[in-house]
Amino acid sequence: MITKKRGIWVFGDYRNYFQNRVTLQLLSRAKELAAKIDAKVCAVVFGHGVDELVGEYIAHGAEKIYLTDHPRLAVYSMETYTLLMERLARQEKPEIILIGATAFGREFAPRVAKRLGTGLTADCIGLDIDKEDLLLQMAPSFGGNLVAEIVTPERRPQMATVRPGTFQEISHDYIRTGEVVKVPLPEHLPVDRVRLVRLERCPQREQKLEDARVVVCGGRGLGSKKKFAKLFELAELLGGEVGATRPVVYADWAEHDALVGQAGKQIRPQILFSFGISGAIQHTAACNDAKFIIAVNKNPNAAMMKRADVAIVADASQLCNSLIQALKRRIR
Amino acid sequence: MDFNPCMKHKVVRKAVRMFAEAEIGPIAHDIDRDARFPMEVVEKMRPLNFFGLQAPKAYGGAEMDTISYAIVIEEISRISAAVGLCLTVHNSVGIYPIVRFGTEEQKKRFLPAMTGGERIGAFCLTEANAGSDAGGVETVAVRDGNDYVINGTKIFVTNGGVCGTALIFAITDTQNPQRSAGVFIVEKGNPGFAVGEIEDLCGMRANPVSSLFLEECRVPETNLLGRPGDGIKIGLATLDAGRIGIAAQALGLAQAAFEDSVRYSKERQQFKKPISSFQTIQNYLADMATEIDAARLLLFRACAVRDAGRPFGAEAAMAKLFCSATATRVTNTAVQIHGGYGYSKEYDVERYFRDAKVTEIYEGTSEVQRMVISRAVLAQRT
Amino acid sequence: MLKLVVCIKQVPMVSELPWDPATGTLQRDLAEGMMNPACRSALDTALRIKETAGGEITAITMGPPMAEEVLREAIALGADRGVLLTDRKMAGADTSVTSHTLARAIEKACPGFELVLCGFSTSDSETAQVGPQLAEELDIPGVAYVDEIEVSGGAVRMRRISDHFLETLEMDLPGIVTVTTGHYAPRHVPLGGLQAAFTAAQIVTLDAAAVGLDSEWIGAKGSATKIRNVYSPTAGKKNIVLTGAPKRIVEQLFERFDDKIGGAIGKDLKTDKNSK
Repeated sequence: MITKKRGIWVFGDYRNYFQNRVTLQLLSRAKELAAKIDAKVCAVVFGHGVDELVGEYIAHGAEKIYLTDHPRLAVYSMETYTLLMERLARQEKPEIILIGATAFGREFAPRVAKRLGTGLTADCIGLDIDKEDLLLQMAPSFGGNLVAEIVTPERRPQMATVRPGTFQEISHDYIRTGEVVKVPLPEHLPVDRVRLVRLERCPQREQKLEDARVVVCGGRGLGSKKKFAKLFELAELLGGEVGATRPVVYADWAEHDALVGQAGKQIRPQILFSFGISGAIQHTAACNDAKFIIAVNKNPNAAMMKRADVAIVADASQLCNSLIQALKRRIR
Repeated sequence: MDFNPCMKHKVVRKAVRMFAEAEIGPIAHDIDRDARFPMEVVEKMRPLNFFGLQAPKAYGGAEMDTISYAIVIEEISRISAAVGLCLTVHNSVGIYPIVRFGTEEQKKRFLPAMTGGERIGAFCLTEANAGSDAGGVETVAVRDGNDYVINGTKIFVTNGGVCGTALIFAITDTQNPQRSAGVFIVEKGNPGFAVGEIEDLCGMRANPVSSLFLEECRVPETNLLGRPGDGIKIGLATLDAGRIGIAAQALGLAQAAFEDSVRYSKERQQFKKPISSFQTIQNYLADMATEIDAARLLLFRACAVRDAGRPFGAEAAMAKLFCSATATRVTNTAVQIHGGYGYSKEYDVERYFRDAKVTEIYEGTSEVQRMVISRAVLAQRT
Repeated sequence: MLKLVVCIKQVPMVSELPWDPATGTLQRDLAEGMMNPACRSALDTALRIKETAGGEITAITMGPPMAEEVLREAIALGADRGVLLTDRKMAGADTSVTSHTLARAIEKACPGFELVLCGFSTSDSETAQVGPQLAEELDIPGVAYVDEIEVSGGAVRMRRISDHFLETLEMDLPGIVTVTTGHYAPRHVPLGGLQAAFTAAQIVTLDAAAVGLDSEWIGAKGSATKIRNVYSPTAGKKNIVLTGAPKRIVEQLFERFDDKIGGAIGKDLKTDKNSK
């Protein structure tokens, strides 16, 4: 049997459920990429008492786990984790390292890349293997208006952080087996220069708008505060939340809490209804993760209309009223 | 000769544009509709030196050059000409006469509150029977001991409804109005000084243009600007400076209307094509662009002459004449390009169209500008 | 007196980008530049520290000569001096090379610096990588995505929200932080300050040689990553356009997308109960 020489590593980011999902999503994509370059999918886990995760990562496609388990690693530490990753990568020379673009990952990855003297692409929304077996990294810029395809031709490993939700995790299979390599904690580990004074779970802040499956967003094209207020009726019928653009919030048609945009909230609904919004980049950047967009505007060439899956050329306020009436008849 | 803006002027333009778009943009439409003076914007402009643009640092001003000053007025007016109007009147005909003709004592007494924006300035010349003809002024200031007692009514006073410091043009001798004219500094709270009704005007509706009443209004003689009889001289110098501001304001309006027209013509489809692909629309846009460019060059030239310390009256008049004519033409064409929507209050070009006309009227009508220019021309070519 | 360094990037003014909507390309040279919003927050944070604890702020930027604009702006806002790194050789740098260049320049131009502040990310390339890599290059403690910061003695205490955790962290100086936007509304540029920034202020200009950079570690040449292609994800997006009377449009909407809409709201919308 020929051993697979190259490794595609996925950093095991597990501190909370959200972080752990990204890791599982990356294992899934790593598996597909590995098939193209005959590589082995490996997960790297630092922590204490994380056996359960090791099993989960194997069940989700990891063929090999590098595990450093030590009480000192019970709490996430930027400097220690960076040092461990650097040492391990120097020793094992992986072809690719993928890290979830969580807050931790986006600080951790650049440090590791810097130490390894290699390149890093941020917050990728797509990964592939090109004709020369290079990792093709799709990185958004300008608020999602542009996507750059980036490669790291010479230096190794090729590194990328990947936006959560970009890939689908594969269903777990607990029959799958994998090799677990225990990596000891090095002696004389330096003390972290950044001291953790307090760590609290964020109070479960209501994230109604951010988590809503349906969002109804309105802009100045609705015409007036009174007409904007109709959106609340529509949102209630749809079981959704109301969002607003900056000019609307500024004109006091909506609370600041409803602001969708770079200075406000990022949304990711299944359906976004957009009424009378021209689509300034500060707003659209916060709507990139909407799965399906229905936009209403008198101007068919408004940026929001170009971005929409369904572009309705009509008066936003009139259409909102018609939609309310139709929904009242259909729901019940 | 360098026609490229220097880095300072570029940065001034960007800084003011960012401020105007963020802080005035969202309410520009509503304050016009509601004829509401946006005090909240004044609050934000105060610490940023908008109320002391060219005043000396010693009195709290930013001590800007005149090109920077014109850029500030243009950029504010591009978003709201009514707010631009407040600033240009305050700075060039409210503060400037005190800086130029005031005594050290007067500067110390009046300027800091004005440059800090606590007291908004107004210049009051126009009366029921006096406008372009300053000689027709009927407001009288009578000497009484060490005071003057002023009686009269001023109309169409820009910033009238919110002014804290008003410069009142009055005569001291009804037999000899021309020679006895003086400019008196009257402050809000002064007994006998009252604000009349806010005018119901076609445009500039967010500016509280009003009449002002002076009834047995007593001010100390130390409130007289310059010497007795200096009124006409002060008035003329003030108007020269004021015209640069109004020219810049008109330019901002034209620029806004032009930008909206370009955007709209690319978006609006007729006959399955954007209307910008039609030659008629292209010709409109080409003319607008050319006139705006010419207007801006003429304005900057007047500013540069002023900054060089040379007489700039004719240059300022030319700039004001041309910029205001450009504003009315360009905003008119902008409405035309927008068609029915342009005539609707839903679109900003309707507001620009209403705002533009008055730039040909106040701070000297276009006819008066031609008078000023022709005098200069005839004096040269004898 | 605390020696503060603020790293600033000039980015294209997004609202005024000359976009070609058909191809999704933009002409960057035609775009006007502005101070990156998160860098404004970093500067704002430095100004607050200066106002409460005292300090001297150096603003530093790498970019074309035009980037001097953001330094003047920073000085108008209250920075004490500016350092402009400009050299054609520096163009095209990726984050790793950028952080290397900045680190060497900070060491050169700001000896004895105590706190470096960066914006957490830039609005153009959005990598959020330069700050953490600068911490590595300078070999000082660093914390990214800081919301609040407090200086006391030779240390700083920071708070941030990171992956649903509220963290309170501390480090000794010298150190580096990257600052998020949104915690404070950054101030506007005072016009008097701007006049002074163009008359009295000092800007030090350094090129690669003056910084003493190794030619292997500059610009595009030193960068590990290469951009293969740039495209607009929305250009040429095929969408469905509905026109006509609102009532009719709404009917069409339900006819064609009742599954999608109904699925999202968890209700069956197939039948219009009154229409029969």
